[in-house]
Amino acid sequence: MAFLMIFLPIFLSIVLYLGTRKDESQTKYIAMGWFGLQLVYALVLLSQLPEHGMLDLGTYLSVPEFNFDLKLQVDALSVIMLILTAGLLLLVSLTSWEEKNQGGYFSLLVLFSGPIFGVFMTTNVLWFFMFWELTLLPMLFLVGVWGGERRIYAAVKFFLYTHVASMFMLVGFFLLYKQTGMWDISMIKEAAIATPALVWWLMFIGFAAKLPSFPFHTWLPDAHVEAPSAISVLLAGVLLKMGAYGLIRFTVELMPETTKEFAVYMLAFGLVTTLFAGFLAVYERHIKKMVAYSSISHMGLVVVAISTMTYDGLSAALYEMVGHALVISPLFLIAGWFHHKTHTWYLDEMGGIMKKAPYISAIFILAGMAGLGLPGTMGFVGELTIIVSAVKSFGWWIAIIALSGLITAGYIIWAVRRSIHGEISPAVEKAEFVMSMPERVGLSIFAILIIYFGIRPQPIFDLANQAFSFLGGM
Amino acid sequence: MSFAILIIAGLIVPLFYKKHITVAKIVTAAAFAMSALFIFMGNDLSQFFNYFASDDATRLIEYVVLLTLVAVSVSLTGFERPMLAQMLFLGGISLAILETTNMFIFIVLFEAIAIISYVLAANIRNYYNAEGAIKTFIAGAVAGGVILLGFAIFSVITPSFDYATMEVSSKYSLVAAAIMLAGIFYKLTIVPMHGWASDAYAQINHAVASILSGLIKSVILVAVFKAFYPFFKSFPSVSVLIFSFFAVVTMTLANFMALWQKRVSKVLAYSSIAHSGYALIPFAAVASKYAYSGILYYAIAYTFMQTSVFMILNGLRKDLGIKYIEDLKGLSKKSGVYAFFFTAQLFSLAGIPLLAGFLSKAVAFYAGVDAGLWPLVLVALLNSALAVAYYAWLVKHIYFDAPEDDRTSTIPTGALIGQSILLAGTIYFGIVAGQVISSSMM
Repeated sequence: MAFLMIFLPIFLSIVLYLGTRKDESQTKYIAMGWFGLQLVYALVLLSQLPEHGMLDLGTYLSVPEFNFDLKLQVDALSVIMLILTAGLLLLVSLTSWEEKNQGGYFSLLVLFSGPIFGVFMTTNVLWFFMFWELTLLPMLFLVGVWGGERRIYAAVKFFLYTHVASMFMLVGFFLLYKQTGMWDISMIKEAAIATPALVWWLMFIGFAAKLPSFPFHTWLPDAHVEAPSAISVLLAGVLLKMGAYGLIRFTVELMPETTKEFAVYMLAFGLVTTLFAGFLAVYERHIKKMVAYSSISHMGLVVVAISTMTYDGLSAALYEMVGHALVISPLFLIAGWFHHKTHTWYLDEMGGIMKKAPYISAIFILAGMAGLGLPGTMGFVGELTIIVSAVKSFGWWIAIIALSGLITAGYIIWAVRRSIHGEISPAVEKAEFVMSMPERVGLSIFAILIIYFGIRPQPIFDLANQAFSFLGGM
Repeated sequence: MSFAILIIAGLIVPLFYKKHITVAKIVTAAAFAMSALFIFMGNDLSQFFNYFASDDATRLIEYVVLLTLVAVSVSLTGFERPMLAQMLFLGGISLAILETTNMFIFIVLFEAIAIISYVLAANIRNYYNAEGAIKTFIAGAVAGGVILLGFAIFSVITPSFDYATMEVSSKYSLVAAAIMLAGIFYKLTIVPMHGWASDAYAQINHAVASILSGLIKSVILVAVFKAFYPFFKSFPSVSVLIFSFFAVVTMTLANFMALWQKRVSKVLAYSSIAHSGYALIPFAAVASKYAYSGILYYAIAYTFMQTSVFMILNGLRKDLGIKYIEDLKGLSKKSGVYAFFFTAQLFSLAGIPLLAGFLSKAVAFYAGVDAGLWPLVLVALLNSALAVAYYAWLVKHIYFDAPEDDRTSTIPTGALIGQSILLAGTIYFGIVAGQVISSSMM
């Protein structure tokens, strides 16, 4: 079953594309059916997880001479990512209800769903890399075909940038295999206690570019701005999480001693990313670019939390990863919807949207407030736990990270002030703010989850407890 | 028997291909199938002659060669039909050179392949083809001369031509081997002996280019490794130095040159040269137990990918007059099936996972890391990422740009079968690595 969850979508996407060429209307239902199945499967895995360690899902395509096989195992960390991925794919489908060329679009989403499950399910380093790279292909086409005016530039830049960074990671994996003679994470862990610094840095570059951390972040604003909003959600909600997942899995978990040695550099990257991207967001007129910089800034917080290498820090990182996906997604979706209706990307050319679209504006404000850490939302819990864990690990000086909350407040309140409130601008005056029911449902689910997990964060922290039980030995 | 069947069929097929092309294709495919069956049954040249030996790895690459030749043969149309006989002869000679364990036989068969490649290139329809054919011939003749010079020196030194017992430890034999390799580098299109190939591959008939740049190069890669392995083992540090240098120069120059090309065939030609550079890494990594696996995997994957892309270009040139990258605009709308096959194989050449191009590079490059050559591998991976730029550029024209005319094309049945076979090979070896590695561990 686990094997099918990864490989079936690859063939399903081809069948879906060819089978619905004459009548594309059914494609989205079939795709949603598949994503629903994946979500159910992920929830079943959640119910079967052992107290500690990993749940074995089988070994396939074995090459004993190369110690190479497709070993599928999951723990709480991977299952959370699987649930997040399948859930986001479902919500993205809802919010893409009226997308053009639905046959190709939903086929590519289905194609994406296979390797991304592979990324989070395999414990074989080389297979992990293969799935990691394969996720780029559907994204390349989704951005390149369905994106905005500069979509081709953005798609090719995104593809090349992350691909080049991955090459460093691959050399790191090769060196790791040379050192240990094993491709499987759980076995490498025991053999690679003192990993050479070179291996660590090669891997870090690959993951940092995906996160993206400063100075490897320049591909993301272009990709986000040009991608259709629903694809921006996948970029921010799933693709960036691959970077954070990789950092946790391959640096903290796999090479704890070496990571300890370089934790301070990781912290520096995280801090600079958070503050630098935050300041860029403040100066941004382009609503989607502002959200993109906000996304980068929040991922910087995740890096800070990971760099603590403590149970508290990693739990906070995991919570923030989920929170970031749920908070940034409606911001992207609504920013894209505003543009679609008003034909402008610029905040100062919008204004008074609240008067014409109060329901959607309210969700935008809610997500924005969650982004700046308003109590009662996921943003508050995530940012607070990160700050507390960072202070515990690095001392009081790290409280400067709280500045990021202030910066976020600056650009979010300013954006709300300019686009949502104020006088109705000519662009808004002319626009008809009508949203389809599935899109409304999708956005509402995001809003409900932001508040639900903001008030009841415990289910995520319970899973974090399971995920990071290995820290008990540190 | 496997060898004899192909040679006999090659003599028979010309009787049919003028009036009964379907019969000729069936005879050709049947000959390849029977040959494969005899290989499977262990009925190869080693049964009759002492100068040949076969093992699992050899049999595997032989199946790939035969399968690729079937794919090309069923795709041939019109004036390309005489190539059917040459496909059969090439199949027979390829099996022999892959099985031989004797340097003298290797040189003879190497020259036989060269002669077949001249005949193939002589499939001339215009001045452009003629120029390419002349370049192929002159470069081949020069290469042949250089190889024979090296072999002449070697024959004075060695008491035996058998791979296992030939003299490989003296410095004179090193000089002889170096001269022979210089000639072979022409055929493998290693920089700076590559100049002819970038023009010739682009100018000759693209079906012929698919064989020259894909299949023949792959067969030579494996055969050369087997023939020269004793030299590499005797002089490991020299091997590392020479092959690392030529690998870096070849892949880097070819990739940068590919970026500036306007003709699709030129991009593919330089891509082919760059791949020769990558393929030298396992040669440099002769100290690794994965060196032969790297060569074998690379040869298998490269045969499927490179043969396929030139065969597709051949079809596109005939059906839609596509020559320049600009002509590819909107190909997905003009011919969705061609676009799909072309894109899949380009991604494989780029090293995208679940396609053979990735796993073959992974194994070949890991051999380099295993031999302690990780900086070389890093350069190769960065080159590989650079190469993605021009493959992505082609894909961008195919899928993201609107067509500039309303011509459309449907892939002929023969080409559809041929391309399906080649893509199946690319996908199979992109997922299943077991057979290649287990058969070729040193």
